[in-house]
Amino acid sequence: MLVVVLILINVLYGQRIDKQFHLTLWILVLAGIGSTHLFRMYIQGSGLLLLPVEKALPRLAFGVLIVCLLDTVLRISAINLLDASGSNRKLELSPRFLLVTVENGLCIIPWTLIYYFFHYIEKSRTQQLDTLKLEALVKELELKTIKSHINPHFIFNALNSIRALIDENPLRARTAITELSNILRSSMQTEKQETVFFEKELNIVKDYLALEHIRFEDRLKVQYEIAENTLAQPIPPMMLQTLVENAIKHGISKQVNGGTVTIVSQMKESYHKLVIRNTGRLSNMGNEDGFGLISTRSRLQLLFGGQANFYIREINGNMVEAELHIPLT
Amino acid sequence: MIRTVIIDDERLARNELKKLLQEFPEIEIIAEAANANEGIEKIDTLNPDLIFLDIQMPGKTGFDMLSELDKAPDVIFTTAYDDYALKAFEVNALDYLLKPVEPRRLADAIQKLHLEDGRLGLAENDEEIAVNKSLLHETDQVFVKDGERCWFVKLADIRLFESVGNYAKIYFSSHKPLILKSLNALEERLDEKVFFRANRKHIVNLRLIEKIEPYFNGGLLLELKGGEKIEVSRRQTVKFKEMMSL
Repeated sequence: MLVVVLILINVLYGQRIDKQFHLTLWILVLAGIGSTHLFRMYIQGSGLLLLPVEKALPRLAFGVLIVCLLDTVLRISAINLLDASGSNRKLELSPRFLLVTVENGLCIIPWTLIYYFFHYIEKSRTQQLDTLKLEALVKELELKTIKSHINPHFIFNALNSIRALIDENPLRARTAITELSNILRSSMQTEKQETVFFEKELNIVKDYLALEHIRFEDRLKVQYEIAENTLAQPIPPMMLQTLVENAIKHGISKQVNGGTVTIVSQMKESYHKLVIRNTGRLSNMGNEDGFGLISTRSRLQLLFGGQANFYIREINGNMVEAELHIPLT
Repeated sequence: MIRTVIIDDERLARNELKKLLQEFPEIEIIAEAANANEGIEKIDTLNPDLIFLDIQMPGKTGFDMLSELDKAPDVIFTTAYDDYALKAFEVNALDYLLKPVEPRRLADAIQKLHLEDGRLGLAENDEEIAVNKSLLHETDQVFVKDGERCWFVKLADIRLFESVGNYAKIYFSSHKPLILKSLNALEERLDEKVFFRANRKHIVNLRLIEKIEPYFNGGLLLELKGGEKIEVSRRQTVKFKEMMSL
C-alpha cells in the first residue's frame, strides 16, 4: 500500500518515470519500512498499547512527527548522495524539506492509526472476555460457599444428643448416627451438583428434622404435605434444608413451648411450589445474620435469573411462611 | 459440697451433663431448669453456688438471664458452637465448655472453681448468708452485659453507680456499662457501710475514694480512684461526716 501511495504522490507531482525515479522509489520504500519498523518496536517496547487512549494519542503524535522527520532526512540524504548531477542540495530547513515531511506524514499517519486501533480493538475484546471469565468464576465460588454452609451449632448439638442417647436408647442412637451421616454426606456432595431430585432433598430434610426432634423432643412437631408428582422435580440442593434449618433456628428454638414445622410441596401450572411454615414471628427470622434468606435469594438469582420467586411473610401473628417457586424445566 | 443447678433447654443435654458430673462427688445437683425464667426462679429460691448455663435457650439467652439476676453465682457456660458467644468468652475469659463436653475440660473447670474460691466454703460462713440473704455483699459478683461485651464484676471493684434514666451506669476499671436497675432499688440492696448515696444521681464506693475536699454550701467533693469527681449534697454531707468520724 505504501508503495502505491508513494507512486501516486510522485505521479501527482508530475515526475518522470525513469530509472532515477525507480531508484528514488526504492529508497523511499526502504526508508519508510525501516523507520516505521523502528516505530513499531518502540510502541511495543514502551507498552504504549496498554495506556488509555487519551494518554497514548499525544505520544503517538509525537512519535509520528519524529518518524516523519527521520524519514525525510533519510530520503533527502539518499537522494542527494545518488544525485550525480551534482547540484548539491543541502540538508536544511527549506520548503522542500517541509514538503517531503508532509508527504511522509501522509503515509505514516494512516499507517500508525490503523496499527494502533487494530491493536486497541483486539485488546479491549480480550479484556471483555477476561472480565466474563472472572465473573463466571466468582459466581461459581459464590455457589460453592453458599452450598457448603451447614450450621455447626446443629452438628455439635446433634452429637451431644446422640451421646446422651447411647445409654438411654441405644437403638435410636444408632439411627441418629445414620441420619447425621446422610446430612453430612449430602452437604459435601452438593458441591458437585447444580440440582438434585426433590425426593433426595426431602429425605435429607426428614433426617435433619428427625435429629432435631431428638433435641427438642415434644417441643417440635413436624407435618408433611407432599404431592407425589413433585418428587422427581429438580431443585437446588440444600436449599429446602437451609430454609427448614432457619425455621428451627429462628422459629421453634426461640419458643419456650416449641411449635410446628410444616413442609408443603405442590405442582402448579408453570412452577413447583414449596412452602415451609413454622411457629414464630417474622421479626425473629434471620435478624441475626440473615444468611439463610440472603443465600437462598442469591442462589435462585444465579441459577434461574429472574424466573424463580421467593417470599417470606408472617401469618396470623404467630406463624412464618416461606414460599419458593421454582420454574419447571 | 457445691450446690449446683443445671440450666439447659434440652433434656438430653442436661442428662448428659448429670452423667458426667457423677464423677465429681463434691458437686451436688440440687435442681434443673429448661429455660431462663425457670432458671431465675430456681436461683432465687435455692441460692446455688454454681450453675451450668446453656447460652442458646428459647425466650431468653443465658446472658440475658444472668444480667437479670441481682447477684450471680459462679457460672460455667455450656454451648455447642456459637461464634457470638465464643467471642464474648474470649474477651472476658469466662469459663465455658463446648458440647459435647470433654470430661477432662470439665474436670479443669471444676478444679479452677476450687482454686479461686476460698469463699465458697470457707470465707463466707452459712450464718452470715442466712442473716443477710437479700443484702448484696462486697464479695458478691454481678453479671453485666452491655451490647456485645459482658463481665462478671465483684461489687468491691465498682467505684460508682450513676443514675441514667431507668438505668444505672456502673464504673469499674476502665469500663462503664449500663444495667437495667434504678439507683433506688440498688441502694436498698447494697451494703450501706460500703456504698454511700452521695446525691440524687450517685452512689459511691467508700473504699475507692481517693480524695475528699470541701465544696460549696458546706458540701463535699469526692475524687474516686478512677478520677471521677462526685459532689456530696449538703444533707448527705452530714451523714457522711457522721459515718467517717466514727
